Amino acid sequence: MRLARVSVAAAAVAVAWLADLAYACPSCASPLEENRQAFVDTTVFLTVVPLMMMGGFIWWLRRRIRAMEDAPEIAVHENLLRDAGPFSKGR
Amino acid sequence: MPDDALGRAFGVPARREPVLPNGVLGMLIFVATEVMFFSGLISAFVIGKSNAVGGWPPPGQPRLPVEETAFNTAALLASGVALYFANRAFKNGSPNTKRLLLLAIALGGFFVVFQGAEWVALIGEGLTLTSGQLGGFFYLLVGTHAVHVAAGFIILLYTYSKLSHDDLDRFTFWPAQVFWYFVVGVWPILYWQVYL
Repeated sequence: MRLARVSVAAAAVAVAWLADLAYACPSCASPLEENRQAFVDTTVFLTVVPLMMMGGFIWWLRRRIRAMEDAPEIAVHENLLRDAGPFSKGR
Repeated sequence: MPDDALGRAFGVPARREPVLPNGVLGMLIFVATEVMFFSGLISAFVIGKSNAVGGWPPPGQPRLPVEETAFNTAALLASGVALYFANRAFKNGSPNTKRLLLLAIALGGFFVVFQGAEWVALIGEGLTLTSGQLGGFFYLLVGTHAVHVAAGFIILLYTYSKLSHDDLDRFTFWPAQVFWYFVVGVWPILYWQVYL
């Protein structure tokens, strides 16, 4: 069992050691500085946009729920509040 | 039965409005996917532009009509503003709702027609989908947006038809607005990236 684990770990290290750089992405190895910068900018952009959308939605939802919780749920006749005594919440 | 100060029947629980109506939630999820879709397209364009040999726009390609499209952009933004005021009038039960909604629809329609005319002129000058990187990106980005404007235009016509029959509620109007604001909001970014 232990030998199997060590073998797997050794194989993983060997693969990592032997693997060359992947040139699948043309921008990663581009000699153009502008191109490399565009790649970084768009990566940041595509990472930040969904986070901002989700954060914004949660923030807006929380605000809306709070505003709705403050709104009265049951209509109570004002005469009832007036006659409810000095300790009434209506006073 | 006596009414309270807010005009509601005494003792009857006021019906609670949903935090977010289903239609609006569905539209927001759809718009979120659309935002990511356009973000992907814009990112591809930015990288393609930075990788272009000989600078951008590529030499020998027709110039995009920057000033004319700026005017068209203003029309689309004005359409968004008109829709905002139409919503305010709708909330207040004002008769101006119809007029303002019609103005928003007319400006959206103007945008589509103007862009169609612009495309005809550009195709005449030799800018096609296969003429090069500029043409490919231009028709992909601007064309995708145009499809969305056309869809939004149809949605607004539908809301106008419902309003005309006194059948429009805010649970129908709200999602339509969310979509139109998205269409209006994404255009200045496309204009900045593609035309300028």
